Amino acid sequence: MASASVQLSVRNIQKSFPGKGGTVHVLDGLNFDIREQDFVSIIGPSGCGKSTIFNIVAGLIAPDAGTLLHRNEEIASLRGHVGYMMQKDLLFPWRTVLDNVLLGLEMRGVDRREAVDKARQHLASFGLSGFENAYPKTLSGGMRQRVALIRTLIMDPDILLLDEPFSALDYQTRLYLEGVLKEAVEKFKKTVVLVTHDIDEAVALSKRVVVLSGRPSRVKAVHEIDIAESSPVAARGNPRFSGYFHMLCGELDIQTMAAAS
Amino acid sequence: MSSITVDKTAPKSKAAAPARKRRSFDTTTGRGLLQLVAVIAFFAAWELGVRAGWISDFLVGAPSGIAKITYQMLMSGQLLTDTWYTLMEAALGFIIGTVVGSIAGLALWYSVFVARLVEPFIVAINSVPKIAFAPIVILWFGTGLISKVALAVSLTAIVALIAAYQAAKDADPDLQSLLFSMGANKHQIFYRAVVPSTIPAMIATFRINIGFGLVGAVVGEFISSQQGLGHLIYNASSLYDLNTVWAGLFVLMLMGFVLYHVIDVIERLALPWKQATTHTQVQV
Repeated sequence: MASASVQLSVRNIQKSFPGKGGTVHVLDGLNFDIREQDFVSIIGPSGCGKSTIFNIVAGLIAPDAGTLLHRNEEIASLRGHVGYMMQKDLLFPWRTVLDNVLLGLEMRGVDRREAVDKARQHLASFGLSGFENAYPKTLSGGMRQRVALIRTLIMDPDILLLDEPFSALDYQTRLYLEGVLKEAVEKFKKTVVLVTHDIDEAVALSKRVVVLSGRPSRVKAVHEIDIAESSPVAARGNPRFSGYFHMLCGELDIQTMAAAS
Repeated sequence: MSSITVDKTAPKSKAAAPARKRRSFDTTTGRGLLQLVAVIAFFAAWELGVRAGWISDFLVGAPSGIAKITYQMLMSGQLLTDTWYTLMEAALGFIIGTVVGSIAGLALWYSVFVARLVEPFIVAINSVPKIAFAPIVILWFGTGLISKVALAVSLTAIVALIAAYQAAKDADPDLQSLLFSMGANKHQIFYRAVVPSTIPAMIATFRINIGFGLVGAVVGEFISSQQGLGHLIYNASSLYDLNTVWAGLFVLMLMGFVLYHVIDVIERLALPWKQATTHTQVQV
């Protein structure tokens, strides 16, 4: 793989937390690369520290050891340059849809009028015109996640970190939002790292899948997903889909058996 | 999708069928009517008891006497002067105490070190019955308006401080993390995530502090004063003028009632997102 196409390198990241029964080693020398305009899914057994990686990249916690390289430059974290989305939509309940979308631009000190124009355009292109002045609690879960996605995209982040963003939604809404995400990522040419426990989602959306082992986590395997269809629904119909799905299932099953013994 | 819609509407129409229209007092007017009847019945029974000689006019007063003295005091302007004076003391005490206490409580969010340092002192001050300060406060601030305001402040500030600090500590850490990942500094997190999320809890303490503001004003007047409703009540009771005492008490009750509803209005204006309804909800 040509180093020029690598956007973010995670090098030998280690992290442990003090626990009740002594120190818990969560990440044990984690290494992987994210390419420019990549779509990488990270899957692994639950509790393997998938969210910890995100918190380190976003600058919420510091690693014990290891480095992050962004476009060949060593960085402490990508704080201020990442778009973070979680299972909870994290919309501010006291802010209207428009003001929620404006949050990141406010933090950067962007001129309000300019920011409002941009926000309205984004809301319109995601089919949320007319909801600018609605409060989040009046929206459905799917609409709230769409607002959260717009809030993330409007900041033009270098990398989108998505931590199981759709797992609280029903299956139909989830399929729909996977499509919205995929389209938006291609339109805005974004790099995405998606943490998910859903193998089906990982195969349908990603260009590559990183499989982590159980705690302490290391990269067990990286698989290229060679599916041409860009729509997540169409991707599920690709003849190779089932092969990837079963291969990844197999890898996770072995891990769970090893962890149980 | 269509099968879901059919399933949903079927039991709904069944459930709606037996719900016949019947007369109910459970409406705004209905409840108001019942409340009014209760008040009238209470005063009628009281008046009747006094007239029939079952209860002592001297020890409990009588509604007719209360009405008469209230009318006289209204005409002479004394009641309005006293009411205004007590209202000023309570309102000033409430506003100063709540603002100072809330700001101090929120400021403690900034430093865990300072917060832990002062916590035992806050607990200690809070555990003293603040009314016990009243004689000292009168000594320090005199017998006028300022001493009553100071007493009301001492009661309300600590309540506001504890509530604001607790609410700031309870502010959703995920919202703060999100802002941090966007590159926000501590001030931005404070103003955008912490302060707005404490507003509902702070408004809830307004309701408690309205009462404490009135307690401070009235107790201060009991101890030493030239005017105010507490002064009126205290003087009248030492003269066994029970009707005047009741008149003062009812005005105090009315004042508290009105102030409580002022807080309601403030709440509705300050928290429009709490009132938001889901009638615009649309499924994707």
